[in-house]
Amino acid sequence: MNRSSDEKSRKIKQPEVASRSLAKPLSALAVLVVVALIAAMFLARRSSPETPAAASQNVASLQKPVITPEGWSKGNLSAKTVLVEFGDFQCPSCAAARTKVDNALKKFEKDLKVVFKEFPMPNIHRNAMVAAQAAEAAGKQLKFWEMYELLFSRQNEWVNVPDPQTFFLKYAAELQLDVERFRQDILDGDIRNKIFRDMLEGQVAQVRSVPSFFLNGQMMQGVKSDTEFEELIAQAIRTAQ
Amino acid sequence: MRKTAWITASIVVLAFIGLVDATYVALHSSRGFLLPCGLAGGCDQVLNSPYASVRGVPVAWFGMAFYMTTAACALFAWFGFEQVLRLSFGLVSLALGFTAYLVYLQAIVIRAFCDYCLLSAVLVTLIFALHLWSRCGARV
Repeated sequence: MNRSSDEKSRKIKQPEVASRSLAKPLSALAVLVVVALIAAMFLARRSSPETPAAASQNVASLQKPVITPEGWSKGNLSAKTVLVEFGDFQCPSCAAARTKVDNALKKFEKDLKVVFKEFPMPNIHRNAMVAAQAAEAAGKQLKFWEMYELLFSRQNEWVNVPDPQTFFLKYAAELQLDVERFRQDILDGDIRNKIFRDMLEGQVAQVRSVPSFFLNGQMMQGVKSDTEFEELIAQAIRTAQ
Repeated sequence: MRKTAWITASIVVLAFIGLVDATYVALHSSRGFLLPCGLAGGCDQVLNSPYASVRGVPVAWFGMAFYMTTAACALFAWFGFEQVLRLSFGLVSLALGFTAYLVYLQAIVIRAFCDYCLLSAVLVTLIFALHLWSRCGARV
């Protein structure tokens, strides 16, 4: 009699015990997930330009502009010395500056990171914006630098035409990109936003002409020759070491 | 403390770090804030590449799901349901394969590394090693 009542009570208690033992790991998991989310959101808030702290940082940055080392990069990506160029694909001086940058990059290959930021000036270069969009669209297929090279080296072909996209599609095919995807990406809102972010950064940093170079966040002004350009980079590398 | 308890506790800690990492990157892909990238320097290239999402779903979301499941399995094992570690081992093995593919993409295809992806690769490898260690013992 006693035995059967014991069995009955065990049967009744079993689900309760099971649910209680499940409750512990589930509660622990809930706590872990919530803490992880809070931690990630805290980190994101610190990085977000929309937080009050970052906003005040932005106000301060109007006085002392901060050039971020992010963007299309080449050279040693983890180098301490960063050369940022604000460029416009329709600008002849930007096309010419490629040689200067490439030479510097060859010379300081191990110690220099070069970043290109979009700064199209559509008021004076009517096809500059769509060219920037084409470069970014190629970047979506990992061919930014290849398209950059084509846009600059064949500037004469597309700068004065009413529909430069015809040429850009041809370049995309030449680079063996997915042309249909490229055509859609040129009009992509994210790409336009990215270009506007670069332009805003340049405007805050007082970029008035292209190409404008920043070496470790400092605008390079009054540089008269390629030798002086390289000497300034060499100095920055020495200081960084 | 028993060996299994040590292992599960370590997996919980690693999965927690992974969950914070993946959530942070997922928040970045939805909000588009600037991601500090001090070590490898190539976060922008990697996270804006076509490989950062699978059919429109950011890879970071898969990371979040993976770390959450791994943490859940380890917590269940900690509270006595040690058999779930077998399920977790299968999942971690898959994740290790996928991680190797992502590291290959960064090194060979994109030619840039992202700090957060590398951290995740280290975490997945450590979690896998802990699972192997637990399977070597007699208790699990």
